[in-house]
Parts: sequence; C-alpha cells; structure tokens
Amino acid sequence: MAVKALQAVSQGRNGVGAFILQCKRIDLHYCDWAGSSKGMNGFIKSLFPKFAAAHPQIEFTVSPRPAKHPVAIGHYINGRSKPICVRNMEPYEILKKLELLRDASGEKLKKVTKPVRSVNESVRGIWSPYHGNGMPL
Amino acid sequence: MMKRLRIERATGQLLAARPGAASTPSIALRAAQVPVRHSSSSAVEAEPTPIYEEDGTDHSRFPPLEKLPPLTSTLPSPLPERALQSAKLAALHARLSLSPKIPLQTLARTLVDPSADPSPQFNNSSLAFLGSTIINYHASESFMVHYPRLPMDVLYAAMTGLAGPAPLNRIAKAWGTEVAAAPGGEVDPGLLQFSLEKTGESVLGFGYTRTVVEKINKNNWQRSVASKVIYDDDFGQVITPPPQPEEEQPAAEEEKDSEFSNTSSPKFSPTSYGSSQTRELSEKAHANFVRAVVGAIYTHSGREAAKAFVKAHILSRHLDLERLFAFKHPTLELALLCAREEFDPPVARLLSETGRLSRTPVFVVGIYSGNDKLGEGSGATLEHARLKAAMHALKAWYLYSPGQGLRVPSDVLDDGVKSGKAWEPVYVDIGELISR
Repeated sequence: MAVKALQAVSQGRNGVGAFILQCKRIDLHYCDWAGSSKGMNGFIKSLFPKFAAAHPQIEFTVSPRPAKHPVAIGHYINGRSKPICVRNMEPYEILKKLELLRDASGEKLKKVTKPVRSVNESVRGIWSPYHGNGMPL
Repeated sequence: MMKRLRIERATGQLLAARPGAASTPSIALRAAQVPVRHSSSSAVEAEPTPIYEEDGTDHSRFPPLEKLPPLTSTLPSPLPERALQSAKLAALHARLSLSPKIPLQTLARTLVDPSADPSPQFNNSSLAFLGSTIINYHASESFMVHYPRLPMDVLYAAMTGLAGPAPLNRIAKAWGTEVAAAPGGEVDPGLLQFSLEKTGESVLGFGYTRTVVEKINKNNWQRSVASKVIYDDDFGQVITPPPQPEEEQPAAEEEKDSEFSNTSSPKFSPTSYGSSQTRELSEKAHANFVRAVVGAIYTHSGREAAKAFVKAHILSRHLDLERLFAFKHPTLELALLCAREEFDPPVARLLSETGRLSRTPVFVVGIYSGNDKLGEGSGATLEHARLKAAMHALKAWYLYSPGQGLRVPSDVLDDGVKSGKAWEPVYVDIGELISR
C-alpha cells in the first residue's frame, strides 16, 4: 500500500554544471606533392601548432594521403564525424574550417525555429479553460 | 597503378602528450613486475621477431606508430609510463578540465577495469570504491536536505537515477570515452579496457551480505524498507557475494594449460556485443570509470575538488522526482496522512466540468481539507480525476523542499571552518506515512 518507486535515469545537460567540448578528434590529411594541398601544408607548418596547443581537449592526428585532396575530419562524442575538403584553400581559410569543426556539436544540421529548448517545465504553467472566470460572451 | 595507402597505418601523432605529470609509485611496481612476467614466458629467447609482423605490414615503409617495450602484449593492461605518450588520454584529461595535479598515469589507471587486469595494483577497483562512496555521499546528502520528506523507496530510486550505474554509464559516454576492442598491454592507455568474457571482482558499496541472499534472488522475496536500510547497499539493492574462489581455481589452471592452444571459442564473440549480459558488463565498466575518476580527484586534489566535480558532472543532471512515484491507494493514503497530521479529513469536490454527456468529458476535481485545497486533478471520469487529485496532493507533501541551494552538511567542512558560519540544522521529517 505504501508508495512504490519507479526507475528513471537523469538527463545530462551539457553546460549546466560542466561543459564538455563535443569535438573529440580532428584528423588532418595532406599530400606532399599535389598543388591543392599547398595551403594545407602551409597551415600545418605555420598555424596548426598554435591551434593544437590552444585546444588540448581535442586529439589531433596529421597524416599524409598522397595523390588526394587535403581533408579535415572532425569526430564527435555522439559518434558522428564531419569531413571538410580543404583543397586549394589558404591557411587562414583552413583555420576557419577547423574552428567550425571545433564548434560543431556533431549533430546533423537542422533548422532551429524555437528560441529556447528546455527540459524544465514552464514557470507560468499551461493555460487551462477550466480555471478562472472564463470569458464572458 | 599506385596501391592505395591505408591511412590508419600511416597515422602519426603530431602532438605529444602533455608533460608535467608526476610519476606514481605504481610505475616502479610495474617495472619490477615486468621481468617476473618475462621469466614466466617462454618467448624471451624469441626476442628479435618483430611484433607487428602478423598483419603483414612492411615496416620499412610504414613504421609502427609507437615503439612498444618488448613483451608488452603479454601484460594484461598497458604500462603506466605509456600514459605520457597517449594523445587520447591527454585529450580526456583536458576535456574533463582536470587539475594538473592529477597525473596521466592515474587517469590511465582509472580506465582499467578489474575484468581487464585482475591485479588491484593496476586496475581501478580501489579508486572506484573511493569514488562511489564520495558520489553516493554527496547525492544522498543533497536529497536529504532538499527533499526531506521523500519516502525511502523513492529515495533509493532517486539515488539510482542520479548516481547509479545507468546514469554514470551515460556520463562516461558523454565524456567521449572510447572503448578498446579487447584489453591488453598493447592497447592505447586512453581507451577504456574491460573484458566481455569474464567479470572482474570489484569491491563496491558498503553493506551486509544477507544469509538468505540466494533465496531472495531466486524466489523474489519481498524485503522490508527497514531491512534495506540496514543490510543493503546505497541503492537498496541486495549485495550478492562474489563467486567462491574454490570454483575459480581449477578454471584458472585450465586456462594456463591451454594458454597456447586456446582454440575454444570465447563465451562472447565481439559481434555479440549487443547482448544483455555484455551490455551490463559495459555499463558496469563505464560506471566504475566515472567513480574511479572521482576517486582519483579526491586522492590527488582533495575533498573540495572532488565535491565540485561531483556537483558539476553528476548532481547537475536533470532528474524529475515527480515521475518516480507510483501510488496504489492514493485516496486512502491521503486520508491517513490527514489523520496523522491532524488535518480535517480530505473531501473531494468537483470544481468544473465540461461535456459530461459527450464522448470526451473533462472533470476537474479538487481535494480539500477544511478550507485548504490540497490538490487538484482533471480526468475523463470523476473517479480518475479524484485519484489524480489525491496523487497530486500526496506528491505535494512528499516533494516538499525547504528551498534550493541550501547548505548541505559537507559545506561546513569547506567554508564553515574558514568563514566561521555555524551549521544551521536542516528540516528533518518524522518519517514516511506508511512503511512496510
């Protein structure tokens, strides 16, 4: 007769309490010979060490991929990955792309129509037609 | 035609792991143990054979990623000194914003489940035990202060929902923990290592092993709330004793005999990862990893840091306590509550209604004690609305909270000593209404 308990599992809300960056790994692939990798090679030599040092929470891997266009691939905590082809780009353009990979959540891109999405219940409650004095006709 | 290169083989780590991690005594221990493990193996003479030959890689063209110490693959878990070379581990350390006081070797140790390495000097069982006590303490003190009237069963459910294995498993996954396909000395120390074939023995949770534990598990005996408080663990679960060591001994000897002719198929192949038993093992390993991280923080950075970490990662999660209640006779229980508290007996009154004769009627019923409205509910029948109103009233009673963000007992240890602010006693309820 006493109160029985049901089971539930708490929901995580990233950023409430602690924030975990969703991008966990970025792979950079380059080619030593091809011209489309010129910017990528320059980026790896000039800008990349600073970028990598500024983001210790991301694991970076750099590897050659001969006779292919250069590519940057972000891997995310939700298991998805986001590849960006960076052929013929300048080092600073590639830096922008890496920042995009860093800031992405890994979710599929979708249109956000509501300004706020929350698990908290509404403070004002839901309007009820059965309460109050109603509307005089 | 040019043969296509395999990217995985050619991958190199640009970033070295972050230095500055202090060495732990376990390094010396392990270094001392390695030769012992060498001498027990017959492969010492066959030293010059390359380790990576079995996959047919030409090492003159594609050098191995990491030069492993000899006989690494015979160890059950990676050597502690390899933690400094792991980029995954350094990234995990930074992702959790751990203090530099916590060395990478300790973080590597939190990733080794007892099922991967049975030696308590190298697995995370001791850290996980320490972490579980800290997590459970902070979770329960938070519930006690913020919801003093929670019935004991609901409190156990809330503890399980906030600090049990299922939420901790989700936390570990949300940290981006990656899992090694199989445990071994050669795997990256930044991967979570556990075995799907055997369950490790880890001492987790205080409690008393009931003498009738087998009968409870077999016949599904009911346990009273009072006995759960006295005997069982922090989540009100029966503590099952670990398997007898007598049964383990012959199995271990058999394994030794068939070490080199191990043709018998394992109980779980990697493809059967989705079975309920393997999922349970995975959940347990992930949960123990989170507990071990808390234990490591407590060990290296102290109580306050561990508390802040628990608060940020575990207590900050959203758990709707209202959904944990299941009432059987809410009206009767409400009547008993009113009698105990010397309120007027509860009376249900119809507040408003619409479409009584239609297909979709709505009745709004309020429960009153004298002139005070205790609860309100709406439903398609009068009975349903009355029951919902009674449940609403009971939940309002049980979920009473003196306020959010109150001081909890452990706050006195942190700032009470410095600021000299005395502890103000919190509200303690006289107990739940009907207890089994």
